[in-house]
Amino acid sequence: MLRVPLTRAVLAQSQRAGVLATSKRMQSKAPEKVEVFIDDQPVMVLPGTTVLQAAAQVGIEIPRFCYHERLAVAGNCRMCLVEVEKSPKPVAACAMPVMKGWRIKTNSEMTRRAREGVMEFLLANHPLDCPICDQGGECDLQDQAMSFGSDRSRFTDIDHAGKRAVEDKDIGPLIKTTMTRCIHCTRCIRFASEVAGVDDLGTTGRGNDMQVGTYVEKLFLSEISGNVIDLCPVGALTNKPYSFVARPWEIRRIDSIDVLDALGSNITVNTRTGEVLRILPRENEDINEEWLSDKSRFACDGLKRQRLITPMLRKPDGELEAVEWETALIGVAQAVKNAGSKVAAVAGSFVDAEQLVAVKDLLNRLGSELLCTEQKFPTSDGLSGIDFRSNYLLNSSIAACEDADLVLLVGTNPRYEAPLLNTRLRKGYVHKELDVAVIGPQIDLSYRHEHLGSNASIIQDIVSGKHPFAKRLKSAKRPLIIVGANALSRNDGKAFLSSLHSFANQLKPENSDWKVWNVLQTNASQVAALDIGYKPGVDEVIAAGPKVLFLLGADNEAINKDNIPKDCFVVYLGHHGDNGAPLSHAILPGAAYTEKQATYVNTEGRAQQTLIAITPPGMAREDWKIIRALSEVIGTSLPYDNLDEIRDRLEDIAPHLVRYGRLEENNFFAQAEQLAKSQSVAFQGEIDVKQKSLADFYMTDSITRASPTMAKCVQAIKKGQGRAYTY
Amino acid sequence: MSKLIKNAVNFFGVQQLLRLGADVKQNGGIIKSIKKLYRMDSIKAGRLVGQDKYGNKYYENPHFFFGRNRWVEYAEYKNLEYDATQVPAEWFGWLHYRTDAPPYADIAKLQTKKYKWMMDHSENATGTKDAYFPYSTVNAKFTAWDPKKK
Repeated sequence: MLRVPLTRAVLAQSQRAGVLATSKRMQSKAPEKVEVFIDDQPVMVLPGTTVLQAAAQVGIEIPRFCYHERLAVAGNCRMCLVEVEKSPKPVAACAMPVMKGWRIKTNSEMTRRAREGVMEFLLANHPLDCPICDQGGECDLQDQAMSFGSDRSRFTDIDHAGKRAVEDKDIGPLIKTTMTRCIHCTRCIRFASEVAGVDDLGTTGRGNDMQVGTYVEKLFLSEISGNVIDLCPVGALTNKPYSFVARPWEIRRIDSIDVLDALGSNITVNTRTGEVLRILPRENEDINEEWLSDKSRFACDGLKRQRLITPMLRKPDGELEAVEWETALIGVAQAVKNAGSKVAAVAGSFVDAEQLVAVKDLLNRLGSELLCTEQKFPTSDGLSGIDFRSNYLLNSSIAACEDADLVLLVGTNPRYEAPLLNTRLRKGYVHKELDVAVIGPQIDLSYRHEHLGSNASIIQDIVSGKHPFAKRLKSAKRPLIIVGANALSRNDGKAFLSSLHSFANQLKPENSDWKVWNVLQTNASQVAALDIGYKPGVDEVIAAGPKVLFLLGADNEAINKDNIPKDCFVVYLGHHGDNGAPLSHAILPGAAYTEKQATYVNTEGRAQQTLIAITPPGMAREDWKIIRALSEVIGTSLPYDNLDEIRDRLEDIAPHLVRYGRLEENNFFAQAEQLAKSQSVAFQGEIDVKQKSLADFYMTDSITRASPTMAKCVQAIKKGQGRAYTY
Repeated sequence: MSKLIKNAVNFFGVQQLLRLGADVKQNGGIIKSIKKLYRMDSIKAGRLVGQDKYGNKYYENPHFFFGRNRWVEYAEYKNLEYDATQVPAEWFGWLHYRTDAPPYADIAKLQTKKYKWMMDHSENATGTKDAYFPYSTVNAKFTAWDPKKK
């Protein structure tokens, strides 16, 4: 499956020894550090550290193309050659472990000449098309040619043999290839086989004829394929939807949070003249490392299509008509006043905490408690499954998942529901001792796993200890049970919650702080909504027969034509005209996640905030401000006028909502289990997941459904399904 | 003696007063002169060189220095709404000293053939409802949801 290069294997051994030695688990002594000198600065490093890492410790960055911290060492670009005293030849810093007493010279004449030579060879076969290259301005080759290259070249043979030329590959609708620019660093190949787990990329030929490609004509379709664009040090792999759109120096970069899955990946939104051009990942070791899923990266063109840009009211003839804000607010307020306390709200998947709080405050003032989220979560009569946060969070944290030794996935496909959690699990599988077992349909997780079956009764067997896997879970040192939110939204979800939670509490991990019970949420607003006190599932709302129903971006068809009461006045508050807007009698256009400063809580319970990258289009406004304005027209003004004040209110309700970036410890597992326990509900039927293959991954919500790029991805897969080499 | 009288005449500006009188007379009396002063901020008398088909009158008075000795009095019906773009192309050359021949005496202009497709002179429409507004050919940054489209 994955061939770990020799150097890596050696390194991994020594590193693992180091890691284990520093942890409490191993009693043996830490290996002695060795002293080396980088440009005459002494530094103490663990044996097995490479020259490049040792230099980084004293703040000296050695130029490199092929080396990447999160990938195996390849050592084939030779850019990191440095002089080691008393060594006749320069050594490749990225692959060479340091020896005691080495004096490494990163700026000597020999080092400089070695770099200039490497640069000259690379440039001799690199096209001079920087002016039309999309990587221009953020190109490692450009930058390093300026810093470390020679000022002249001996390449003169442009007329006879010319430069090496390679045919471009078609590897899908997301990545544009210009293979002539490739310098064979093999980062993309290593990423594909190590991180993505798709062994599609490789090299053919050797020497001057070496080519990076897919061997056969085939698309490189992975849910995290876009990361090879960031990894590529030159312009060989570039962003296809973004090609020829902008130069990096024209762009404004705003740090933000992704909301297209429940992980809350850290992103940088790149904008120019009020338009989101692309989205790049931002490093956060606790969440997304430095990767980003394709949906989060490429669905940003969905933010420009199907937008609600003006308030609308339904005319007596049944057509929606664009109106001014004043008219719309008065219209909605009239309906709310007539409804008395029969007002309800349903929150969809992109609702921020500020909006959730504003809507809840408004409805409570009107005397209603009918606040729900679209996605169900088991709550039993009288006792609630959501009174303790630990019941619905990924308690162990995303980063800790890679340290687990046995993971049981129930009714979830993390590969498509949370691609970056899946890369964590894969990382644990490849580099540590992590095993995965799945209860649910047969799925490809990109790593080997045990499939226990898809019948729900298997859970019963495991919990009661009949199933052999129960024994393995009990003997595991750091077991994890990850249950998909969709599995818990089943009718027998109560049984999942109570039985698996109490089973998880029975397990005795080696470290008593280790949290076994985990829920993988599937949308970005669910955790905040449950934290604030929304009830999961729309059944209660439908049963109550509200006169006015607020849909807060509820587009996943929990509320549909057939189940809303006939005389109900539906108000849609959101940013896309998708499944919710056509049902509505009034539309109040809100802001998407790139257009507001808002709080989102991810599946591990970490509050993070998005920042304003662009202004909302047309007459759209920030959502909580709309609710605030509406409350004034209704006559029950909400007591906050600006972001600080509403955040004070957030803090009053749940202080963790404004502790941005911090992960709150979750406790009370035993009590939560008590509450989650209910009269025994029988498991029924097969466990299924919604997203089984890559084609199901791309279009799952109102933003991605509006995105032409996502539609192209689905088309590309469908087109390829009949071919000889399927994906 | 005569020199003394000359000096006195100069001193009291009698000649200027006489010229003012002549100007007023050419402009058709005191009231009309005041009206003209209000409309054009000056009253000048000069030789009427010609008139274009829009009713603008072109004058010349070599008494004034170069640059002020040819002028146009815009057609009465334009009232205060006159501007330089109302001068048609054929008079433009004479008014700006590019040529000394007025259009009816300019051989080159007379010999130029007139075609049906030649457009009439038009003045600048800025600030009126006929003003030109450029429009963008770039696609809109956002496309709105259309409730009628299913």
